[in-house]
Amino acid sequence: MPNHSADRIARFQRLIVVSLIGLALGFLVVLQLRSQAAVARTLASQDNTSVALLINDLNRANNQLIQQAAALSQQETQLRQALTAGGADAQAISKELQTLREVNGTTPVHGPGLQIRILGSLMDFELQDLLNSLRAAGGEAFSLNGRRMISSTSIVSRGNTLLIGGQAVSAPLVLSVIGDPEQLEPAADLSASSLQTRVQVDIQRKSDLTISEVINARPLIYAQLGR
Amino acid sequence: MTVLASVSLATFLVTGLAATQFRSQPLASSNRLARDEALRQSVNQLSDQNRALKARVQALQAQVKAGEDESARRSSAVQQVKALLDEQRAIAGLLALHGPGLTILLHDGVDPNDPADRSLGWTVHYQDLQDIISLLWANGAEAVAVNGQRIVPTTSFHYAGVNILINNANRLTGPYTVTALGDPSTLANGLGDPDQLAELKSRSRIYGLGLSWLRSTRLSVPAYDATFLVKNAQPLG
Repeated sequence: MPNHSADRIARFQRLIVVSLIGLALGFLVVLQLRSQAAVARTLASQDNTSVALLINDLNRANNQLIQQAAALSQQETQLRQALTAGGADAQAISKELQTLREVNGTTPVHGPGLQIRILGSLMDFELQDLLNSLRAAGGEAFSLNGRRMISSTSIVSRGNTLLIGGQAVSAPLVLSVIGDPEQLEPAADLSASSLQTRVQVDIQRKSDLTISEVINARPLIYAQLGR
Repeated sequence: MTVLASVSLATFLVTGLAATQFRSQPLASSNRLARDEALRQSVNQLSDQNRALKARVQALQAQVKAGEDESARRSSAVQQVKALLDEQRAIAGLLALHGPGLTILLHDGVDPNDPADRSLGWTVHYQDLQDIISLLWANGAEAVAVNGQRIVPTTSFHYAGVNILINNANRLTGPYTVTALGDPSTLANGLGDPDQLAELKSRSRIYGLGLSWLRSTRLSVPAYDATFLVKNAQPLG
């Protein structure tokens, strides 16, 4: 019974949070359309909605930084324990290598996420904004029509053609994103609501998506290590 | 979650509608001042916490690196893995880099104060920065930073109200400096192509919005000021 009640409270809290974000975003859209004051970028001269949204983002970022610190702390302990015991922990280093390969898109991955089908073509800024929202909602790996994407993958419109990493992609667009579906879905829904005035968007949750494409990292030719 | 999404969407639409229809009743000025002050104080506190947490993350990164260096000295197997790790770190933006490249300067233009022009075309939007960065990647940029913030594989741009945020709620304010490492001529030719950034270039002419670039033989970009967590994606096989 207590679990059931806690569950109900948690659901209610989630509902409140989502409603508040919806409320803030509703005002924000109007604000951006109407307000010439939208260029006041010093904190003192900002409207309260902007400040409230900034608080929301700072809270989220700080929570992520706390989690990063906890993971690094654990990694450091693991390395130190092995060193104290007179050895070396290859496993901790291999785990970090794997994480970076996933982040850099240089290794195939699988996991829960969303598959978003867009029955029409998008302009570069529309795709950028969809990716911005999904990354901010914790999207970890992306592929579009079988092409792996990270933030350094160029997205450029040339006329009505969408070029991803210099290669043309055509409709229908199928975007696979791995991450927590609970977080990704509201972000995808909001983006879809603006796209759907023009193109049909179908969002499906997947318990296990595979992204087998990888990015061939370009060797550094001009850039060198160090400041 | 579908219910949550529907509630969110409905609230968003209803609130937007309400905001266009009604003007809110002004609060008593003393209440308003207190609320404004409290909100700004929260931002300052959270920003202080954000800086402290980044410093903690960076200190821990240095400790982890020291542990890895020591481990690599003891084991040749670890040494091999660590060489691969350093390579991936450089790609991910976790290491500072220097080299030739291009510095792009961008600043707001002049408000035309024209009731018929409410486009805000005279201001720099995050989409402008993202278009420039995408074009730099397309022209072989090897590393990019904006106002000292490294662009990493997970970087996203968005507005929080009037604030442009990237990488763990870093607030970008104008004037903007984009630094790209790569072949300066190729990068400059990419930006100079009249078919690229056509809308931004037109706004630059109309509103005096600043857009210029400078080739350099030596520029530097800082390392990303945090790290990466992957919770859902698993290696395949």
